[in-house]
Amino acid sequence: MRLFGIETEYGITRDDLEEVDPVVESMELVRAHLTASFERRWDYAGEDPHEDARGFRVSGLAQDKEEDEFAKLDAHRPFSFHEMKSDLVLPNGARFYNDHTHPEYSTPECRRLKDLLAQDRAGERIVQRAADRRNQSLGGEYVQLYKNNTDFHGHSYGCHDNYLALRSIPFPQLTAGLLPFLVSRQVIAGAGKVGIEAQESGVVPGQFQLSQRADFMETDLSVDTMHNRPILNTRDEPHADPKKYRRLHLIIGDANMCEYATALKVGTTQLVLDLIELGAAPSLVLEQPVTAVKQLSRDIDLKAAVRRQNGQTITALDIQEQYYRAAERTLAGLDEESDWVLNEWGETLRLLAQDRHRLVGKLDWVTKLWLLETFMREERIGWDDPWLASLDLAYHNVHPVRGLYLGLEAEGKAWRMTTEADVERALSVGPPDTRGGLRGLCIRRFPDHIRSMQWERIQFTGGLMPRTLEMGDLFEPAEVRACAELFETADSPLDALRAWNGRKDIGS
Amino acid sequence: MKHIAMPERREGPVDPMPKQPGPSEEGGGPKRPDIGSPDKDSLLKRMRKVDPKQAERYRQRTGE
Repeated sequence: MRLFGIETEYGITRDDLEEVDPVVESMELVRAHLTASFERRWDYAGEDPHEDARGFRVSGLAQDKEEDEFAKLDAHRPFSFHEMKSDLVLPNGARFYNDHTHPEYSTPECRRLKDLLAQDRAGERIVQRAADRRNQSLGGEYVQLYKNNTDFHGHSYGCHDNYLALRSIPFPQLTAGLLPFLVSRQVIAGAGKVGIEAQESGVVPGQFQLSQRADFMETDLSVDTMHNRPILNTRDEPHADPKKYRRLHLIIGDANMCEYATALKVGTTQLVLDLIELGAAPSLVLEQPVTAVKQLSRDIDLKAAVRRQNGQTITALDIQEQYYRAAERTLAGLDEESDWVLNEWGETLRLLAQDRHRLVGKLDWVTKLWLLETFMREERIGWDDPWLASLDLAYHNVHPVRGLYLGLEAEGKAWRMTTEADVERALSVGPPDTRGGLRGLCIRRFPDHIRSMQWERIQFTGGLMPRTLEMGDLFEPAEVRACAELFETADSPLDALRAWNGRKDIGS
Repeated sequence: MKHIAMPERREGPVDPMPKQPGPSEEGGGPKRPDIGSPDKDSLLKRMRKVDPKQAERYRQRTGE
């Protein structure tokens, strides 16, 4: 069963202010999306970041102290917690809210890469449109949004890729299979960064590296996400039937502008999950994965070799090659999309080794490096020039006239895998074969009948008894479509729910 | 804009399928973008407009 989605925290700033209150700005940005007053709908039940997939519950997270201090400050604000969060469910089934200090857009759950790309691009448009509205009310183009992961001063924010996985796969098997792959995935999915940072410290200029997030990885496995960041996050928050599923929550990834990079990032990770499920992942153990992440990120020639536990060394490309070959051997012919990923994965590794210039417009780090090197030649500046970090930042600006990547795309120098029609549709409709699309359908058809929503259930108003559509195990596409058809045609959500429950009773 | 055709995901067991043309130039997909250099009249102009001190001023709170 395949299901994936991407959460993106956007960087936000105001050009007209010396000091920005990110809580207020993020809240106002999300609110600017609304054409009516905010209604509290998001149900936070099921969100518990203290549960650890290794089979225990932690008493606290590394960020708890900092969060408590923020909470004390927030208590004096003239708005409630729920108003501050301003959690919205959009007509495409996405979640758009203020994740405390960053506007966050979470795509609806997708089963196909082409849907995910369209939903991710729709997210860029949605946040920028909200910024346009906000700027209109401010009287100038002051609010700027960045789809990146660092402020170049030691503060990082995430772009998390999520995958539904079977609970029956032992967690140690998942981690063993994934760690070397994730350490080396940055050769494909890195967004590129000017300079070197560490948590809560300034930037050291003068070097370009593959990844925005590598500098912020501090441990192999951890339930934490804001401090002590892990290569593999162990948060056990399945947002699905916990007996059958887990959610793999990967926080190591960069926010990609290139659609091709997003497709390969998620597509190859999904194939590796398939390999692990089949017990066919390469047997490869790195001696120090955290050191390796940073070491590989800082070598743009891709020649750096990291130590394996068996005493040998291996490059990032060779790690990826081992996974690619295992996937080709085991998964070729599985379906068209898998074959597409396999084909592109192999070709990309070949080009990275032989002719990476041909990956401009496909991979972010290659594209950004090419842009910056061209600019340096034109302006006769070196890597230590602070202008380059500003250009790095501007690459990720989602304003169509200011963003460097979007400018490149407008010039026809970036590969597109979505059409404008795909993105336009994704602004208002979710994937037809996932519960994300069903969530969006309910918002579109019955906005006044929804008491609360979250990833795995929707509670409707009406009557004395709770009227809940449970979606914790609603993943089979045929089932999703059947359920959606009822909600599409029923006069009320309760009629649809009655028919759906009756259908399930007959089925059982 | 260069568009790359992506196949639809199929449901259930898979029959042997003909290979679809991928995004390669040989497969009838889009042509590789001309990456000789950024267009000097637009993209480089856009880059020059970027305030060299923008990143120095840019501050965010730690997120997830």
